[in-house]
Amino acid sequence: MQRELRLCHMYPDLLNLYGDRGNILALQRRAQWRDITVSIAAVSLNDTFDSDSYDLIFLGGGQDVEQNILRNDFVNVKGSAVKEAVEKEKIFLCICGGYQMMGEYYQEHDGNRISCLGALQIWTMGEKERLIGDTAYQSTLWEGEKGRLFGFENHSGRTFLKEGVKPLAKVLKGAGNNGMDGTEGAIYKNVFCTYSHGSFLPKNPQMTDYLLEKAMKKRYGEEYILPELDCETENIARKTCPSFM
Amino acid sequence: MKVRTAAAIFAARSVRFGLRILGKGATTLPGKVALYMDSELLSHLAEGKKIIVITGTNGKTTTTHMIGDTLADRGYAVVSNVSGANLATGVATSMLEGLPIEKKAKRENRQVVYVLEVDEAAFGKINGKLTPKVQVVTNLFRDQLDRYGEILTTRDFITNGLKGAKGKILLNSDDSMVASLGKEREGNAVFFGMNSSSMESITVTKGEKKKVTEGNSDASFCIFCQSKYEYRARSFGHLGEYCCPSCGFSRPDPSFSFSFSPSWTDPQTGKKISPSEEDYPVLLEYNTTGFLHGELKDTDCSAQRQIREVRTTVPGLHNFYNLMCAAAACTLFGEEVGDEGLDFSHICEGLQSARPAFGRMEKIVIGDKKLCLLLVKNPIGLERALSILSEVSDAGSAYFLLNSNIADGKDISWIWDVNFEDRHYPKALFVSGERYGDMLLRLVYAGVKKENIQYSPIEDSASLMEKALETCQPGECLYILPNYTSMLYLRGIMEKKYNLKAFWK
Repeated sequence: MQRELRLCHMYPDLLNLYGDRGNILALQRRAQWRDITVSIAAVSLNDTFDSDSYDLIFLGGGQDVEQNILRNDFVNVKGSAVKEAVEKEKIFLCICGGYQMMGEYYQEHDGNRISCLGALQIWTMGEKERLIGDTAYQSTLWEGEKGRLFGFENHSGRTFLKEGVKPLAKVLKGAGNNGMDGTEGAIYKNVFCTYSHGSFLPKNPQMTDYLLEKAMKKRYGEEYILPELDCETENIARKTCPSFM
Repeated sequence: MKVRTAAAIFAARSVRFGLRILGKGATTLPGKVALYMDSELLSHLAEGKKIIVITGTNGKTTTTHMIGDTLADRGYAVVSNVSGANLATGVATSMLEGLPIEKKAKRENRQVVYVLEVDEAAFGKINGKLTPKVQVVTNLFRDQLDRYGEILTTRDFITNGLKGAKGKILLNSDDSMVASLGKEREGNAVFFGMNSSSMESITVTKGEKKKVTEGNSDASFCIFCQSKYEYRARSFGHLGEYCCPSCGFSRPDPSFSFSFSPSWTDPQTGKKISPSEEDYPVLLEYNTTGFLHGELKDTDCSAQRQIREVRTTVPGLHNFYNLMCAAAACTLFGEEVGDEGLDFSHICEGLQSARPAFGRMEKIVIGDKKLCLLLVKNPIGLERALSILSEVSDAGSAYFLLNSNIADGKDISWIWDVNFEDRHYPKALFVSGERYGDMLLRLVYAGVKKENIQYSPIEDSASLMEKALETCQPGECLYILPNYTSMLYLRGIMEKKYNLKAFWK
């Protein structure tokens, strides 16, 4: 039976660095193979954001300049609608810059604090040295091999989680959130955040399926079970990535 | 000449001699040694020399080759750095190699010109020392982001390199990030680009709904005031006729522009010849009035607008930009050095002798089939290669190779920025390279059936290439799309197997 999910891609014209649209492709593809159509709607500067129209919301990463362009719109114009969506347990996937902007503030190394949305109790500190490299994380969602997440990080921000926000994963290889506390990413209600590029979802199909199933259950009822689908191709990509373990 | 410089030169010569004896290509080590001994080596060597510098994300190597081949055709002794040796060390090595060439050229009463490809970050540091007659910026696209972090950082390097630049600055009018470098340099900035009418004829107008899963644009927002650009026409990527509705910054009129020749329609079938076919006719124009737009008018004074048709051996829309850029660079060079033999007309003739550079649409005949190498280093390069693959009529099969060594960029996320979806692929596809798994995944997620793809780790890439060639019918071509180090690897194998010229010779 053909079903659908509606995905909102926020600021696709501004937050589009590092191949993050691969996450959308992954969701579309693994859904399509189960007869689920994922439609994409773009919401950018000056567009209205009505979270009830969507089952999944995606925010990618971008350059500093582009993030500055959208900051006012995101925080002040769409801000309350986004925060409400978060509290209503809407499903979000946020990568890198998108992740940082969901937090309380970004502090530059001269001490200047830039206010962010404040939907998540996290904050980020910018440093000159970038954290760059292949990564391996152990997700807090699963044990063992299934829980391994592989990707590539490239960020100058160091993010710290406050109480009430859980990490997405534990760092096995790489820096993760800040290179200090061994955490990577964040989970708050149904908001999933990570610094991981790669892109993130293609090589981590368990995560893709997790998000798809959550979205399907919310849309079509808790009884819904996502059909099994092999991860043969994804596993080949996992095994050949430099941080594979 | 200073003692230090002389000593550095001697040391470099010895190193080069030693390497050649060992049978190794001396592309950067001699320069490295010499720079260590004389940190101002480049300034010393560049004094009084005729130099052209080319930088930018894509097209450096192809443009450098086209300029070199054209000037050689016009009688110059050309010294150029080999592909890949485009940092200070490689440039230094080239300048040193020029010394004996200069002696020889003097005896033969020929002029020497240095045509140097320079990496964007290196350009920032060394362009000022080289003081070229002409400096060229081809374009700016996202590339190796794990090395530079952001595209604007790359642009800043180039801005640094242009500080106090004398000589002409040749800029791509259709690339807003590059054209904007002309601000405050109006005295010596000259533009090249695509003719407006031709651009309008290929602009694809989209429906109301924005297709967000398409490939990304690197420059949607005005570099000066951050408002969103409006485009009247688009070429590829972020190249086009842009205009900022807020501050008014818009595409400057290029003095040098290329357009599609009327002969791009086959007179017998009435079908348009694809811009990816070899021997493609392109019209190149040099407009010295600077104010006219693209259409031919009867009243035009031919001395102010010169139009020449060139048949290019390096097809593809992005290569037309390189072709125009090369013609422009040679013409401006001729004006700067006062060489009347380097007029636009003769240069366009000379351009026809330009051969593809190593790995850039390099076609190799193997029996009754062909191999075509299309180096892909970044999203736009891969987009262009995929377009060519879809447009050519002789594609038997396609072979993708992906590595993630330091020279390639260790982050392969960029392959997801490329639109693999909705393309026309040959039935049989092949994948190799150290990151074959990621490329395989990319193709499968783009809708290609896994059973149609054969893959192998890089150690077996040579035998996979043979299999790929076997799937081609006689007359067909195997299109190979490797990224940087995987191309070096494959070409090394091909040199031995098919007796090709080693790339450093």
